Amino acid sequence: MSPVIDLSNVRFTWPGAVSATIDIESLRVGQGERVFLRGPSGSGKSTLLSLLAGVLTPDSGEVRVLGMDVGSLGGAARDRFRADHIGFIFQMFNLIPYLSVVENVCLPCGFSASRRARAEQSGGTVEKEAIRLLAHLDMAEDSLLRRRVTELSVGQQQRVAAARALIGSPELLIADEPTSSLDADRRSAFLDLLFRECALTGTTLIFVSHDASLEPLFDLGISFAGINRAPQAIAHGAAA
Amino acid sequence: MIAGLAIKSLRNRRFTAGLTVLSIALAVLLLLGVERLRHESRESFAATVSGTDLVVGARSSPVHLLLSVVFHIGNASNNLRWETYRAFAARPEVAWTIPLSLGDSHRGYRVLGTSTDYFEHLRFGRDRRLRFAQGHAPESGHDAVLGADVAQALHYRTGQSVVIAHGAGDVSFSLHEQHPFKISGVLERTGTPVDRTVHVSLQGLDAVHEDADADAADPLAAALRDGQTDAAGEPRAITAFLMGLKSRSTALGMQRRVNEYTAEPLTAVLPGVALQEIWEITGAVEKTLSAVSMLVVAVGLAGMLVALLTSLSERRREMAVLRSVGARPSQIFALILGEAAVLTLLGIALGVIALYAGLILGRPWLESRLGLFIMVGWPSAYEVALMAMVALAGVLIGLVPAWRIYRHSLADGMSIRI
Repeated sequence: MSPVIDLSNVRFTWPGAVSATIDIESLRVGQGERVFLRGPSGSGKSTLLSLLAGVLTPDSGEVRVLGMDVGSLGGAARDRFRADHIGFIFQMFNLIPYLSVVENVCLPCGFSASRRARAEQSGGTVEKEAIRLLAHLDMAEDSLLRRRVTELSVGQQQRVAAARALIGSPELLIADEPTSSLDADRRSAFLDLLFRECALTGTTLIFVSHDASLEPLFDLGISFAGINRAPQAIAHGAAA
Repeated sequence: MIAGLAIKSLRNRRFTAGLTVLSIALAVLLLLGVERLRHESRESFAATVSGTDLVVGARSSPVHLLLSVVFHIGNASNNLRWETYRAFAARPEVAWTIPLSLGDSHRGYRVLGTSTDYFEHLRFGRDRRLRFAQGHAPESGHDAVLGADVAQALHYRTGQSVVIAHGAGDVSFSLHEQHPFKISGVLERTGTPVDRTVHVSLQGLDAVHEDADADAADPLAAALRDGQTDAAGEPRAITAFLMGLKSRSTALGMQRRVNEYTAEPLTAVLPGVALQEIWEITGAVEKTLSAVSMLVVAVGLAGMLVALLTSLSERRREMAVLRSVGARPSQIFALILGEAAVLTLLGIALGVIALYAGLILGRPWLESRLGLFIMVGWPSAYEVALMAMVALAGVLIGLVPAWRIYRHSLADGMSIRI
C-alpha cells in the first residue's frame, strides 16, 4: 500500500530568508496512522503543513500526498486537491464568525464535489451529515446548534472544527495544535472523539503539538527537529 | 457559494455595512435628484410653451423676448402695431393667435392684457388647456381672471374688485384707481407662469390707460400713449403675440416671414430653439451641480473602500480558514469584490427608492413653490447610465481591497498570524 504522505529531499526557503526553513530527507506516513509531530512553536511545523496542503510548493524535492506529487500540480488543482482530500483543524478561531454551526461544518462541501458526494452518501444530505458528525462529538443539542459560533466555548468551537474537518471523509486530517487552548480534561475528551471518528473512516491523522505529554496516545511520534535538517534558530527567525 | 458567503458576511457586519450602504444611497439620491430636477425643470419650461409654434414681438433677442413675454422675466422693450398683429393673424397658415400686452402689475403680480382667444387656445404641458377653478372667462372689458397663485396668495374670490398699477413693481406710485376690474374667474393651477398672472382684456387695459392719460398729473401715463385704443375700440399696439400654426412644418417659413417683415422690425421665436439657448446659458451651473454630486458619490464610495480595507486585517484569519477548506485565492478575491458589489448595488437601490419617495412626497411642494411639474416615471436612459456608472465605480473600487486580500491569502496561505 502506498503511503498517504511521502516526502523525499524536500527543501523550502521563505522568500527573503537566508537559509531553508524545511529540509527533510524523508517522511512517510501510512494509511490510517495516527502520527504525533512534536516540535517547539516557530520551528517550521506550520510551513511543513502548508507544504502538505499544497498552499506552498517545495523549492526542490517531492511532496507526495495520496500518491500525488502536490508540487507538480497547478495552483487551482492544488486547491481542489486540498478541498477534496484534506481536513484541517487549527489551534483556535477555526470558525467563520458569520456562519451558523451547521454552515461552518458544511463549508468544505461547498468547495469539494467529492466530499459533498461522500457526505450525502453517508448522511442523506450534507446538513444531516453535519448534524450526525456533531452528534458524535456531543454537539448536536438544539441550543448549541442555534448559538452563534462566537458564543461557543473554545472546546465547543474545536469540536465544530473537527466535524468540519471530518465531513465528507477526507483521507487526511491535519490538526495544528488543536488542543493547546483546551484544559487537560477537555483535551483528552477531544482526542478520544477525534480518534474515534478517524478510526471509523480510516482517516490518517497528522497531529502537531509542542505538548509531548500527548505523544503516548499516538501510533507514531515524530520529532520535528529529528527529521528537519534545517538549522532551527535561523529557521525560526525566518518563519516568524 | 461565494455569493452566499459575501451576503452572510455583510449581514454579520450589518451596522458598518448599513452605514456604507446609506452613504452610497445618499450620494446616489443627490446624483439622480440633481439630474431629475434639471430634466424636470427643462420639461416644465418646455411645457409652458408646448402648444405655441411662434412667439412674435418687436425686434429683440429671442431669449429676451421669450423670457419677458412667456415667463414674465424682465420687460419687453418695444411694442408692435395692432395692424401688424391683424395682418399675421389673418394669414391662411395660422390656426390661432393670442395677443399679449404687458407692463402693468397688481400687488407684484403681472397684469396681462389679452383676448378671449387666450382661454380658448393656450396649451401647456401635454396638450392641456386652461380650466376655471371658479367663475368663467372675462365677458366685458372690466373683468379680470386670476391665476391660481394670485388668488391663493391674495385671498381673492370671484366678484371682488382689483385695481392695477403701472409698472411691474410691488409698490407703484401710479395706481389706476378710477378703473377697477371685477374678478370673473380663477384658473386652475397649471404649474406655469399663468398661475402668477392677472388676466384682463386688451380693451379694459387700454381704458385704464385712457382714464389715466386724462389725468395730467400722472406723468408716467403719457409714456403709454402707444397702447391706447383707436376710434374703432381696438388697441393701437400690443407687446407681443403667440401664434399657433395649422401645420408645424410651416413654422420656419413663418419665422422668416416675420423676421423679414418690412413695415416694422419684428422678431419671431421658435420657443424650443430659444429655450435651447437658455439651457446653454444655465448649463454651466448644471454642470457644476452634477460635478458636485459626482464628487459626493466618490466620497460615498471612498467610505466603502475605507470600511472594506479596515475590515481586512481582522478577516485574514477568516480567509486562512476558507483557504484551508479549499477556497482558491481567486474565490477569496471574488468574496471581497462581491461584498463591494452588494454594498454598491444596495446603495443604488436604496438611493433610487429614496428618490422616488422624495419625488412623490415632495411633488405638491415643488408644484406650488417652484411651479415645477414633476412626472414620476421610470428612470431615463441617462439615469440608468448614471446608476450603471456608480455600480461600475463601486466594483472597480472593490478591486483594491480584493487585490490586497488576494495578496495576503497567497502570502499567508493557511498560517494565521494574529
